Amino acid sequence: MTDATDELTPEYLERLANVEPRNLPDDLDLFHEDTATRGIRLNRAAYSLKHPAQRELFARDEDAWMEQFALTDQEKDLMRRRDWIGLWRGGMTIYVMVKLSGVTGTPLPEIGKQMREAG
Amino acid sequence: MARVIGGIGASHAPSMEHVYDAGEETRRNEEWEPLFGPFEEVSRWLGELKPDRLVVIYNDHMDEFFLDAYPTFALGVADSYPVADEGFGARPFPPLPGDSKLGWHIARSLVADEFDPTICQELEVDHGVISPLPMVDFAEGDGAWRIPIVPLAVNVILHPLPTPRRCWKLGQAIRRAILSYEEDLSVVVVGTGGLSHQLTGPRFGAVTPDWDKEFMRLLDEEPETLCDYTHEDLIKLGGTESVEVVNWLAMRGALGPGAKAQVTAYYPHKIMGYGLQSFAVAP
Repeated sequence: MTDATDELTPEYLERLANVEPRNLPDDLDLFHEDTATRGIRLNRAAYSLKHPAQRELFARDEDAWMEQFALTDQEKDLMRRRDWIGLWRGGMTIYVMVKLSGVTGTPLPEIGKQMREAG
Repeated sequence: MARVIGGIGASHAPSMEHVYDAGEETRRNEEWEPLFGPFEEVSRWLGELKPDRLVVIYNDHMDEFFLDAYPTFALGVADSYPVADEGFGARPFPPLPGDSKLGWHIARSLVADEFDPTICQELEVDHGVISPLPMVDFAEGDGAWRIPIVPLAVNVILHPLPTPRRCWKLGQAIRRAILSYEEDLSVVVVGTGGLSHQLTGPRFGAVTPDWDKEFMRLLDEEPETLCDYTHEDLIKLGGTESVEVVNWLAMRGALGPGAKAQVTAYYPHKIMGYGLQSFAVAP
């Protein structure tokens, strides 16, 4: 005997297949399993900037600020170079990147320009 | 018993905050009049309608919630909602008044209807709520909010996201929650976000006016057809961040049959397709 909930109906399988985008062109990325897993350190770091004390530390000593988040050397390098598209590819979401744009004094249109040109 | 007496769909964006905070002269200048003019119209309409409460369906932008535990649906049950510091210092607004009793009732009703939100006794609201709200509800001269809110945040950031159909049904469940509330309150439901924008990658800045206008037409005339769109469809049509329009769909689902758009305004400008739509409900 199988329970009705065990049945993998075509309708269920279609819903499962469509729940997350799977046929996006390369220049339309998603924040999902891969990017969220890859980006967790970068996101944690930039998210911290919602706290004024973290913004002060960033301004005073960026390396000491970065030390708190177990960033890889490559991630630290992306941060130091203000490599926005690199940070994005590293899994940083735009929502926390905006906080980083604040402390680095980089307007969003400038971030956008770099992203467009790098593409 | 409580009633739903109207709906509002509105974009939210930090740019709207900068313009609002710059003062009336900036709001009325040539650049921003096409957006802020319609907001004034909606504000006047809301002033005549005098709702007792606003239910605001929005999304947080990692200003309250983070990836350690990201809620799919999160409902406020507080009496006060402070304005979040999004990384630049919080805007100088007083906390928004809430209605914890209505919030808890909505929580119970949603669970009875098989929606299981994260229940928040504390919640700081970000520009998902307070970029459009001052344009329709803030008594600027008095420096005070007029209408208590119940906020409901939808995950539009970390995939898998709740589907458009699920958000439509969420709106219907919110409607039932309002209709079953014992107090005689009138409620306007607000959905914020969108319309088209793309803030990441090589397509940064892309705006798609044809789709945005079609979205607002469908939301007015045949909203349920939007349930058949997948997130993939929405992203291809309006950009990665445009999936916020599911908040509008949830709002529309809460209005019941016979709702009709009144103000429909659209202003594609720089990196945003700004939209604003108010709905009258059937008497």
